[in-house]
Amino acid sequence: MKTFLISVKRNTKLFFKDKGLFFTSLITPLILLVLYATFLSNVYKNSFQSVFGSFNLQIDEKILNGLVGGQLMSSLLAVCCVTVSFCSNMLMVQDKISGANSDMLITPVKRSTLAFSYYISTTISTLIICFIALSASMIYVGIIGWYLSFLDVILLLLDVILLVTFGTALSSVINFFLSSQGQISAVGSIVSSCYGFICGAYMPLYSFGEGLRSVIMFLPGTYGTALLRNHALGGVMEELLSSGMPEAAVTGLKDSIDCNLYFFGTRVEVWVMYLITIATIALLITAYVLINIFCKRKKK
Amino acid sequence: MADIIKIDNLIKSYGQVKAVQDLSFKVKEGELFAFLGVNGAGKSTTISIMCGTLNKDGGKVIIDGVDIDENSDDTRRAIGVVFQNSVLDKALSVRDNLIHRASLYGIHGKECDERINELSAVLDFKDFIDRPVQKLSGGQRRKADIARALIHKPKILILDEPTTGLDPQTRTVMWGVIENLRKTENMTVFLTTHYMEEAADADYVVIIDGGKIVAEGTPVELKNRYTGDYVTVYGIDTEQAKLLSEKYEEVVGGVRFLVEDTAAATALIVSHPELFKDYEVTKGKMDSVFLSVTGKKLTGDNNG
Repeated sequence: MKTFLISVKRNTKLFFKDKGLFFTSLITPLILLVLYATFLSNVYKNSFQSVFGSFNLQIDEKILNGLVGGQLMSSLLAVCCVTVSFCSNMLMVQDKISGANSDMLITPVKRSTLAFSYYISTTISTLIICFIALSASMIYVGIIGWYLSFLDVILLLLDVILLVTFGTALSSVINFFLSSQGQISAVGSIVSSCYGFICGAYMPLYSFGEGLRSVIMFLPGTYGTALLRNHALGGVMEELLSSGMPEAAVTGLKDSIDCNLYFFGTRVEVWVMYLITIATIALLITAYVLINIFCKRKKK
Repeated sequence: MADIIKIDNLIKSYGQVKAVQDLSFKVKEGELFAFLGVNGAGKSTTISIMCGTLNKDGGKVIIDGVDIDENSDDTRRAIGVVFQNSVLDKALSVRDNLIHRASLYGIHGKECDERINELSAVLDFKDFIDRPVQKLSGGQRRKADIARALIHKPKILILDEPTTGLDPQTRTVMWGVIENLRKTENMTVFLTTHYMEEAADADYVVIIDGGKIVAEGTPVELKNRYTGDYVTVYGIDTEQAKLLSEKYEEVVGGVRFLVEDTAAATALIVSHPELFKDYEVTKGKMDSVFLSVTGKKLTGDNNG
């Protein structure tokens, strides 16, 4: 156990001591927040206004801003929980490139201890950065329109933890097969450019075609985004209902911004979203354990 | 002295390439053992098998009396390795590196602190123990590398081309440290190197080529077997050299004869004692031994 803890400490220290890696990971979500707020907030605002206009509703500016803020926050967190974990988990590959990994395997330490130490240290580093991103997003939402309850905040924290665990498990399985700097860069670029689209963070799945939407519904990251959407926008939705917006209109709005997801026409409940996310994490961790065992046997 | 490493009929192939072919040798406890070969000769493969990071296809490897197939954990504890390229975490301090390394061998807390203090005294790195590795000089890093390899008190220290690329001063520092360790801890040193003058100081030398042993013995035995002796006579000219009827070459201040062995050198001296007022008899060099047995020259450019 002590060996495991010291390895986790070593990995975490190396991540935070690598200024380039740490600041790039930290600054990416903050830059995304600024870009979202600068370029997308008006687009979202106009889109919401047109929805309310179609119902002849006069919505308070603060509620409108709360909607925009909630959507920005959930999109940002959905993306950065996964992309930052790929960035943090680079150490696993860098150790292979530098020979540090082979050197560690000369000692009697178990491969599983090393593999699990990478997993936990990546989770810790990613969580620290994502909690900073969450705090920055909450400050932004607080400034423009806060409708989050205490429970919403707790659930958002839980969502971030779940998504970071998911992102770390996914990056552990993928990074296991990488062994060069070029491969790290390629995977990093692909993940950061594509993940936001396929998890419904950049564009609501509602705006995609039927076929594409059906395919994306098989990807577990989608449900993580939906969880964040539900908890970041739950308070605003309640406020809309109290301000006289018909329930059908609120449901329509929830559908359009992926608070509600439909799997072949059947609405996916929030508890099912949790179940899918947790099951996926369990599946990915099992895969990570199996590939470690399988590759060990292969070398023997 | 007991055999601390015993390798019998070791075989390893990568597909069609036979990296190690029926290799057998022994290393005695406390010995400085030089394992020489050009790039691709099978040195790294043999070391990887000894370290337990690569499986063999056949043969037996016994480290400190334990078969690596039976208890690889024990054999791993008996070995410490210093690689050509430092594998220390450069962003971390020497102390952090050593604490992490010790933990991989199950050494923690007070026991770890005591061992680090012990090593910092022996290797003299107290002054920079808390400095990040990236801020250390080449010599200081090498000391940290050696400390890392010795943290678990191994009986065998494997030095895989440890001085390649180092400046002469750092090489001297490193060899000073290793000599000290051999004397104080009776440590067995298993060395691969591209510098023949380092191999010349070994107790026993094995030269491999194409995965097979092509020559082995003490440096003197190898020099006697594969090179001649040089007799350098100062203060004579080429006219006088011709009187000796032996092949010679001019050197600064005299001439040098290459003779078959020391007996032939003695015969040469006795035949014309009047010419031998200022002279020296030297053995051939390990470079010549290597060239003679492999037909190849060992250079520092090779990495295997």
